[in-house]
Amino acid sequence: MLFVHQVHQVVGTEAERFEDAFRQGWMGSLAGGSDARLLWYFDLAHGSGLAYRVVTVTAVEDGAAWERLAERIAGGDLRSWARHLDGLQHSSTGRILTTLPWSPPPMALADVPTETTEREPVLYMEDTMWPFPGKLGEYIEAAGAVYRPALGAEDAKMQMHIELALQTLPGAGRSPEVTLLQRLTSLPRLLHLLTNDLSEAVAGPGSWMHEALALRDQWRSKLLRTAPWSPLP
Amino acid sequence: MLFMHETHQVIGRHAGDFEDLYREQWMGTLAEGDDGRLVWYLNHAMGSGPSYQVVTITAVADGGAWERLAARMLTGDMAELAARLDTMRYEVEGKLLLPVAWSALQEVDLSAVSTDGAEHGLSLYMQDTGWPDAPLDDYIALWDADYWQVMRQTPPERKLLDIQACFQVGHGSGIRPEAILMQKIMSVETLGGLLTRVEQYDPTTWPGTYMAKGLEIRDQWESKLLRTSAWSPLW
Repeated sequence: MLFVHQVHQVVGTEAERFEDAFRQGWMGSLAGGSDARLLWYFDLAHGSGLAYRVVTVTAVEDGAAWERLAERIAGGDLRSWARHLDGLQHSSTGRILTTLPWSPPPMALADVPTETTEREPVLYMEDTMWPFPGKLGEYIEAAGAVYRPALGAEDAKMQMHIELALQTLPGAGRSPEVTLLQRLTSLPRLLHLLTNDLSEAVAGPGSWMHEALALRDQWRSKLLRTAPWSPLP
Repeated sequence: MLFMHETHQVIGRHAGDFEDLYREQWMGTLAEGDDGRLVWYLNHAMGSGPSYQVVTITAVADGGAWERLAARMLTGDMAELAARLDTMRYEVEGKLLLPVAWSALQEVDLSAVSTDGAEHGLSLYMQDTGWPDAPLDDYIALWDADYWQVMRQTPPERKLLDIQACFQVGHGSGIRPEAILMQKIMSVETLGGLLTRVEQYDPTTWPGTYMAKGLEIRDQWESKLLRTSAWSPLW
């Protein structure tokens, strides 16, 4: 399964129409076939980064299904929808991702909801990392062996669950690049992280934060809030 | 057919090894299957932009072929080569391109693409990447009616560019709205004139008409001067 990850720079005055275009147009159009499903519709939380940014994640069955989808947008039945969207966003930046070997398995496309059900928004921390040249494999292995289990430990500083662990596919984005979609389960822990320096135990020698500096020192965290109707919470 | 477009930010001291690996191992290993062929290997001409930047374009049969190629690179027989390339570059940025309806290049006969690394002369390309303010379709239509149709009728002695391909970015694999022209430079002297002449863009003469009208839907693009390597399959 492939994952089309898009960051949309939305026209501020068109934000509601943009969201509606995804809720009614994109999600509904995909539901008519079996090639793809919208999984998440996120707003980048205001106050934590760039304004009017939306992140969407669409799961696509495989490469052939992606090509069919791309052709529908370039010259088929979704062309008018894409043209409509062009008027509602300044631009979008996309990349196509695949799961890491140790990622939790993605939901089967057939099980993804296509009817909108409203629920409480959920906050995610999306981390995107860029390992040093030649260190991608080592980083993926170490993150799976050390970082992932640490998140699940009882004394974990952050209460997060990795929903998907991904890397960018060749020819469809930047490489080397790893992306973790992490669902936050404790707002107080997040606020503690934001308002306190990292302790020696968290960032000192022997810690993941410290030891992983041999593999990468550049990443970006985004705080993303699901729309109430997002197919996956 | 898809075209996998990759821009490599190469570590300067490894530039020679990077190109050798592409020429001597990557191109041949890729050709052991029927899914894709390296078609262009281009060096960004120094003095016209970033240093040590390489652009490669790989023709891929279809979406399934791209997925298989990606799997070969991540975990299959090309993974070791991909890892070695990774040690010679800071990063690579890729996108999957679809030819627009009027593009002269639609398909490449993969079985006819050279894979032997034979040497030939060098060519210079101007790769234009544009980002319109208007719907992408309108930009592609403008390029067709007011640029491509005009340029193809230009007499050979006045021809600066041969527009060999026009692409849009396949869904979710890069920026939208974005379109790309691959243009072979036919006259270096005319290029010199373009670089040194102050153009008034008179709306009644070429290229003034296109330049003036184009501002209605875009004013941001980037031209890259790319020089084929001596062994690039297309040049």
